[in-house]
Amino acid sequence: MKIDCTIDGKTLTLSLNSDKPLSLILRENMGDDCHVNHCNGSMCGLCTVLLDGKAVLSCMVPAFEIRGKTVTTFDSFRRTKNMKDIEKAYESVGRYPCTECYASRSLIFESLIDEGITDPETILKELSIVRCPCMDPEDEVQIVLKGIEIRRKRNVRRS
Amino acid sequence: MYEGLSSPNIHTPKSLSEYASITLHYPTSSLWAGGTFIMSRPNSYPSRMMNAEIIYLGDIEEFHRFQRNDRFAEFGSMVTLDGILSTGKTVLPRVLIDNIQTIGSRLITRRATIGGTICTKNFTTSFPGTLLVLDATAEVKFIKKKRLHSRWMQITRLLDKNGRIQLPSQGVISRVRIAFSEKNCQYFREIGSFMLDPENSVSAAFTATLDQDILINPKIAFTYPLHGVCYSRDIDSIFSSLRFPLNDDEIYTLESMIFTFIESSFQNISPLQRTRTSGIVHQIVDNLNEMTLTAPVEEASGYAR
Repeated sequence: MKIDCTIDGKTLTLSLNSDKPLSLILRENMGDDCHVNHCNGSMCGLCTVLLDGKAVLSCMVPAFEIRGKTVTTFDSFRRTKNMKDIEKAYESVGRYPCTECYASRSLIFESLIDEGITDPETILKELSIVRCPCMDPEDEVQIVLKGIEIRRKRNVRRS
Repeated sequence: MYEGLSSPNIHTPKSLSEYASITLHYPTSSLWAGGTFIMSRPNSYPSRMMNAEIIYLGDIEEFHRFQRNDRFAEFGSMVTLDGILSTGKTVLPRVLIDNIQTIGSRLITRRATIGGTICTKNFTTSFPGTLLVLDATAEVKFIKKKRLHSRWMQITRLLDKNGRIQLPSQGVISRVRIAFSEKNCQYFREIGSFMLDPENSVSAAFTATLDQDILINPKIAFTYPLHGVCYSRDIDSIFSSLRFPLNDDEIYTLESMIFTFIESSFQNISPLQRTRTSGIVHQIVDNLNEMTLTAPVEEASGYAR
């Protein structure tokens, strides 16, 4: 099956099995460019990518669902201004995720900041998918709130 | 690495008539809703067992509709659990909201659909049990004599004797109707994770109206992921015959009666599931005891008269 999609800013036409998980596509078909965990659907949360700007578990997304969509992995996201906002939020709160869950947590933070979610319960629920205990729930909420504030200031400056 | 694997054909019907014609052409095709169940199976890919024809239901517009009036809310089967929360959080029964919130992160509830959670063979969520106690009904579309028919059925009627959902052949759930409940006792509890530890997890949904010291129209359903939904009018009638608050002996008798029924339906529930079920029964009774004992004075005096 031929699938047209945009992965990390590159418009691609991939010839794939239609039910192949996105996590495997990123590992096997994208060469060394993408480093995404493939947990075989055990919901570890470490395979998170952005699909049209929203965080999804890439092991849950089959190839036919990415047709015409934009996939952003952490490898390209870390070079964006949005990631800089998140890094500033980490710095101001004084807490950083560990190296293992840094990518997935940052992408989920981005999804929350982009949606402008301020409800602590919703924030914690969304982040509960990452089972790594390296961060306190309070810090996670603070990082999202700070990230929203930083993003808003940046948008005001730009306009 | 995956030599010999053929890529399944994906059919993406845009309407129900298109769905019907595809189903007639490929009667053994698999239905794909949110994909959370299929993709979370360890052998989901590469799978030689996978059917060569997949019908993806996400593009059928009728399946995404949501409507409500003052009596019930009606969801298309492809409405996601997160969509249910965001559209009906203030009006839907508490037990349903609690159920969705315990399922897990929004990364999962944004993909899992109401139709998919009902129709999966092994229960990956406790949703069917909750819909059952809420007297929810589902519209089932099925093909008979090469034509698409539809019928509204109660969720209880979709369960077979083993507590598993049984749809008519080539059937699909198109809509689910949930009545707004005014019951004052609504309780949902899930212990363990249905997705990660199905052997040991259990959930219970309970609804009733507590009037002074008796329960009116109580309904309770226990869900065991690898076994099915345990629901019986016998257990409901045991609850309606009780006068609250219950003492320890009465709780013990109630618990043993419930276990007698559960074990007659599902022979091999694990010891941990048994302990957890017992804990849930105790919590439900404790809540009911507390509600009875803290009822307003007017109600209590009304009862005394």
